[in-house]
Amino acid sequence: MSERDPRQALREFISHELLMDETAALDDERELLLDGTIDSLGATRLVGYIERTWGIEIPPQHVTVENFRTIATMAGYVERRMVDGSES
Amino acid sequence: MGTRMVYLLQQLVADAADHDPDQLALVCRGSRLTYGELEQRSNALAHALIERGVERGDRVGVFANKSVETGVAMYGIMAAGGAYVPLDPTSPASRLAYVIQDCGIQHVIAENRQRATIASLERLCVKLDTVIGLTDADISYPAMGWTEIESRGEAPRRRVLEQDLCYVLYTSGSTGVPKGIMHTHRSALSWANVTASEYSIGDDDVLSNYAPIHFDLSTLDFFGGAKGRATVVMIPEEHMKLSASLASVLEQSQITLFYTVPLALVQLSTPGVLDRGDFSSLKRILFGGEPMPLKHLHSLMRMLPETRFFNVYGPTEVNGVTHYEVPGPPPVHGDALPIGLPYDNVEALVLDEEDRPVPQTKVGELAIRSATSMRGYWGRPDLNERAFYFRDRFDGLPEVFHRTGDLVHQDRDGVLHFHGRKDRQIKSRGYRVELDEVEAVLITHTDVVEAAVYGVPTQDGTTEIRAAVTLARASAATPSSLRTYLAEKLPGYAVPTVLTVLEDFPRTPTGKVDRRRIAEATTALSTSGERS
Repeated sequence: MSERDPRQALREFISHELLMDETAALDDERELLLDGTIDSLGATRLVGYIERTWGIEIPPQHVTVENFRTIATMAGYVERRMVDGSES
Repeated sequence: MGTRMVYLLQQLVADAADHDPDQLALVCRGSRLTYGELEQRSNALAHALIERGVERGDRVGVFANKSVETGVAMYGIMAAGGAYVPLDPTSPASRLAYVIQDCGIQHVIAENRQRATIASLERLCVKLDTVIGLTDADISYPAMGWTEIESRGEAPRRRVLEQDLCYVLYTSGSTGVPKGIMHTHRSALSWANVTASEYSIGDDDVLSNYAPIHFDLSTLDFFGGAKGRATVVMIPEEHMKLSASLASVLEQSQITLFYTVPLALVQLSTPGVLDRGDFSSLKRILFGGEPMPLKHLHSLMRMLPETRFFNVYGPTEVNGVTHYEVPGPPPVHGDALPIGLPYDNVEALVLDEEDRPVPQTKVGELAIRSATSMRGYWGRPDLNERAFYFRDRFDGLPEVFHRTGDLVHQDRDGVLHFHGRKDRQIKSRGYRVELDEVEAVLITHTDVVEAAVYGVPTQDGTTEIRAAVTLARASAATPSSLRTYLAEKLPGYAVPTVLTVLEDFPRTPTGKVDRRRIAEATTALSTSGERS
């Protein structure tokens, strides 16, 4: 279980692991699925990262465009799940 | 009114519009176009392109994410007498610049979302006469917004023949630069005819368009859909990547024919994805591009017992040429699915190293004679010389077969079975990649002394690209900086997921780099957590 700010942590994971560019300035509103930053393999890695980092389990029906479109929506999802362990 | 002669692809749309202008043609991101509107808007675009100087046979770029305008662009370019060339919006600017220059593209249809990359093209000194579809004036190329395009009823009159160029698809090339595969109206229309007839596509069908237009899977959706006067629902890129969202598009749009890659089906078969929805509309699922993992196909076929499943085979050069209908949930540990029998209008030969047909049941290279075959590679006489096999006929007028580079055998029933590649081309998550291209780009880095790029099979049935390098003495390059370097030159799917720096490469007794031993050594490293 981590107290890390989800936005900061997600920015780092995505720039280091998916974008392969540690210097990338990632906008929280950037459409990461649309612009190809996250592909289906990247999405799987991202889900694993979120599950490990915040100790939550993400059921497949939560892995949706609404939750994973941008860093902002992902962080919102993590925060909601931290408050209430099951709801999307 | 007589019957319209259909010898150009866009005439399928005109024909559908004549027949029922209100039939829905394209749906994407909440926008929809009927066949009447699609015909009208593509004719208007065609006039605008001609006024901007597009001549018969000119290649026009389409640089956009999925939207109904993508369809307008494709058919409008054809109606102007040109050929469409998809430009992958996820490709780095340097690669797009190469394609634009290699193919002699002077006109591009784009959208605001690609503005930043278009600005990079300007910095790379790429010359363009017109960029259509941008509303912003902040590029220095002459731009023209969609609203500036005046509506005109009639299609422009141009003498274009069925043998003329219809589209060019760029794909990975082993020498380090992509190559353009040229298709004509004739090959495209033949493909439309095959698919509409084999899969009984009609006006009550709703086809998905899964693959973006730079990917050859998209041609079945658009061309077969237009031939059958069906509705095509373009699945937004962001929905393609997440199986729960993909499933909801399939359900809500009541897709009746879904053509995709095995990886998407593997992900859809994950528990929790399809079990809640109603997929009773989904009559056929077609998949191709890579071998389908049987375990996942088995569970998917049990989840969708009313759906027919087809394994479709064919490299981009020839479109689809064979298929196999899976009779029922396959044994999980059985043999790989066959690629099946050639379609009726296709001849398949299996050749040995000396171009002689192999005895039945023996493995050889598959060569294909089909009206769906490409014209050749754009501007590459070297490749065209090797791409075809000529069987003598009619006193020196040979029959032309395309050499696929795929190894197959034909069983006693004539059914074809796939055995891999003759060369180092692989499929990774449905994308076609020449491992030699990745190597060739890696070696251009000043610090890289030697590079080895290889494929490693993954658990979900596809292939992951990995690389190892040896570096110059005192080099500061790291796996991360090398992958960043590659990401500036290659599409994301071609960038190795793991890159390892080695002191020296293992070699075969004859001194060649031993990629198999490198793969073994680095796989052992990466499973112990050495991911870079």
